[in-house]
Amino acid sequence: MREGNTSKAPLLDVRDVSVDFRTVGGTVRAVRGNSFSVGKGETLALVGESGSGKSVTARAIMRMLAENAEVGGGTKVLFRGRDLMELPETEMQRIRGDRITMIFQEPLTSLNPIYRVGDQVAEIILSHRKVSKAGAKREVIRLLKEVRVPEPEARFSQYPHQLSGGQRQRVMIAMALANEPDLLIADEPTTALDVTIQAEILKLLKDLQSRHGMAIILITHDLGVVRMTSDRVCVMRYGEILEDGTTADVFSNPQHPYTKHLLESEPSGVPDPLPEDTSEVIRGTSMRTVFRIKHGSFLNRRSMDLVAVNDISLKVRAGETLGIVGESGSGKSTLGMSLIRLQQPTAGAIEFRGNRIEGLSKRQMRPLRTDLQVVFQDPFSSLNPRMIVRQILGEGLVVNNIGGSGRERERMIRDALVEVQMDPEVMDRFPNEFSGGQRQRIAIARAIILRPRFILLDEPTSALDLSIQAQIIDLLRELRRRHDLSYLFISHDLKVVKALCHNVIVMQHGNVVEQGPTGKVLQNPETEYTRRLVDAALNPDMA
Amino acid sequence: MTAGPQPPELSHGGMNAEARAAHSLTYWQLVRRRFARNSYAMSGLAGCILVILTAVFAGFIAPYAPQTSDRSLLYTPPQWVKFHEPGEGFQRPFVYGFSESMDPNTFEITFEPDPEMKSVIRFFVQGSEWTFLGMTFETHLFGTDSGARVHLLGTDNLGRDVFSRVIWGTRISLLMGFLVMAAALLIGTVVGVTAGFFGGLYDLVIQRVVEFFKAFPDLPLYLALTALLPRRADPIMVFIMFACILVLLRWADLSREIRGKVISMRSLEYVRAAEAVGASNGRILFRHIVPNTSSHLIVWATFQLPEVILLESFLSFLGVGIQQPMISWGVMLNQILDFQSFSAAPWMMSPVGMIILSVLAFNAFGDGLRDAMDPYSNA
Repeated sequence: MREGNTSKAPLLDVRDVSVDFRTVGGTVRAVRGNSFSVGKGETLALVGESGSGKSVTARAIMRMLAENAEVGGGTKVLFRGRDLMELPETEMQRIRGDRITMIFQEPLTSLNPIYRVGDQVAEIILSHRKVSKAGAKREVIRLLKEVRVPEPEARFSQYPHQLSGGQRQRVMIAMALANEPDLLIADEPTTALDVTIQAEILKLLKDLQSRHGMAIILITHDLGVVRMTSDRVCVMRYGEILEDGTTADVFSNPQHPYTKHLLESEPSGVPDPLPEDTSEVIRGTSMRTVFRIKHGSFLNRRSMDLVAVNDISLKVRAGETLGIVGESGSGKSTLGMSLIRLQQPTAGAIEFRGNRIEGLSKRQMRPLRTDLQVVFQDPFSSLNPRMIVRQILGEGLVVNNIGGSGRERERMIRDALVEVQMDPEVMDRFPNEFSGGQRQRIAIARAIILRPRFILLDEPTSALDLSIQAQIIDLLRELRRRHDLSYLFISHDLKVVKALCHNVIVMQHGNVVEQGPTGKVLQNPETEYTRRLVDAALNPDMA
Repeated sequence: MTAGPQPPELSHGGMNAEARAAHSLTYWQLVRRRFARNSYAMSGLAGCILVILTAVFAGFIAPYAPQTSDRSLLYTPPQWVKFHEPGEGFQRPFVYGFSESMDPNTFEITFEPDPEMKSVIRFFVQGSEWTFLGMTFETHLFGTDSGARVHLLGTDNLGRDVFSRVIWGTRISLLMGFLVMAAALLIGTVVGVTAGFFGGLYDLVIQRVVEFFKAFPDLPLYLALTALLPRRADPIMVFIMFACILVLLRWADLSREIRGKVISMRSLEYVRAAEAVGASNGRILFRHIVPNTSSHLIVWATFQLPEVILLESFLSFLGVGIQQPMISWGVMLNQILDFQSFSAAPWMMSPVGMIILSVLAFNAFGDGLRDAMDPYSNA
């Protein structure tokens, strides 16, 4: 239409996009009249917390919204001068996967498990271009090489489950690049990946962009990612764009108070100093946890031992926070769960305040449970959806016969809620009424109401938005001080570990790679693996 | 910012998403709303209520007791309720009685509506006694002012009112459905939950038992039942044995499904959190695991009920289920097992109508429930 003008006009010009969802509870306004544009070869970041409407905006551009979504009448999405909202569906199909492509957050579910990886990439090529099968295969292998999948010829005929998470995300990127798109929409492309792999994927995206000159819309909640990759930023909250500008401007001179708040919410501070002469709370000696995995056919049964925790010793003193760091699958959660006997260790000794506990039965462990508490990673699955907050917090009291009367228990539940900075009036609500951060506070309240001495924190912040992470960390630090608690803090994020832990253990494949005081390990990592973790978390620009 | 209490320190001027703590709907409120939107499910619910009320108040709705017979009116066809009489205009609903005539050649008896024998239908008339919760009543929903009989769906070979018998039959059919469903639900849940939770050797043994029951050919078993029972067995006894056999063959599927659910639930974090506060196995089972299988159980139950009703009527029709003088829909159909009586008195097929109505209603209700309980549905 405006052929001569395209070099001037932005590649994608989104005007007044708004999306409503009709739900049983009423209409939810997910996106409210936003406008922005993306130029050729430019990277635009949409930043915001979960529920801010970033992904919905992207899906509205692709016209891939759920059935109950309603796009506002004034919405215009001009892609190279043509309004995508007015194209017939068949035309739109030709644009999707060809001119505009998308990468999703979850590499585990965005590939079809029953087709070979290579065939899935080839399908994208074959459905948009006229090439022979052999030609498509050559093209796929070239693409896999380009996104740096090791041994692309062999990977071509493998199934998704044979690839690691990072490799799968690379395959997704290869699919997105297959037809040399003009615009790539990446919806939290690295959130589900380990930190070290995150950095590699982002670097890959940047490299590919400079080589192919495509524009990228990057959706993320992680400001570190934004700083590293994007030219311009749109900060979103409650479906509205609050601030829009170049990355450098927004980071150095944020205008909107919410942007300032986001920038300030990186985990900060240092752990309280640890007194020299404190007593030991828990000690694990030569802990070993092995999972027996049975495989093979009915007649040809074989079993394989997976060593999740290999001969690890650790101790936590009163008031100490010990961090365990490692990528997923490194055995850090298994180690923590084995220590508090929620997982049966295969070998090793556990001493809690001088008493051996590794041989106690489930029943014998029960009296100790009030002292050894745990906060899980996912606040959405750690609270029983059929119980109200009062029942969730009260369970430990009832089970352990703490607080004789109902009134006494109610007072304790109130106190616990106040301690985690929740309004005690929420007592009669169900967990589904709370956000992730609020649920995690309830989970923490469930642990501290029993007045434990030791709490296992199993990635308590990794499912939360960044700004909420910082608040939860402050809360944990304060509770530790007030009740003289000891923590075992499991995390893959060294930024959080730095803010909270006195000592740290770095794990890989069930083994200890490095351990020592947090400051020393982070400043002078002795091993290559630790250095990679540190770089990924603390110096993203160097990764 | 939205209304609702807010934790004091979190308010940061409404900075973060956490400050939004508006009261949202609970799971069951959501289910109710989604269900109410589905008109097919709502009509199913209405049908279910109708059928259940019919069963409960059978004595009131049916004009006569099931065994009341009139030897002078064998195989009379249904009487149509009329509102209009030639020459008289519109009036209260009434029916004509039948005048009987016999063909002298074929000895075939034919019935002709006779305007002379008109009887007006009245509501809330006094009639034969019926009991409900130990109390005795004489009022029936409808009858005639003259005391003459009205047979909306005709009469059977003994001159018994088919309509009344269909209404009374609802009781046994539904009772059988509910009994079998409830017992299978109980056994299936207990077996499935414990097998899934405790695992190990117990689970292994239970699963083999389940497979044994699932491999059992059910029809021969039902037929064997009639052979096993003494010829003059008490009908109640037959009813109970029949129910037991249905239960025996129905719990196995449910226990499998529940076992799978429990295995996946056992490793969920809220279950482990309960273990971490020191909860006993019993508490974890009954407070955490069983309540979270409830939606599955409810849906299973609503689908099971119509299946049992169908199976009961099929087996009773074959004569191996419920025995006379108990009446269920299947027992009534058993009276027209041969083609002759079917062609002579097609109105005796009317229990089929009730079977279709109740099965459709319970299925629609169950379908609607399943959709409403789908956690991923948001429409």
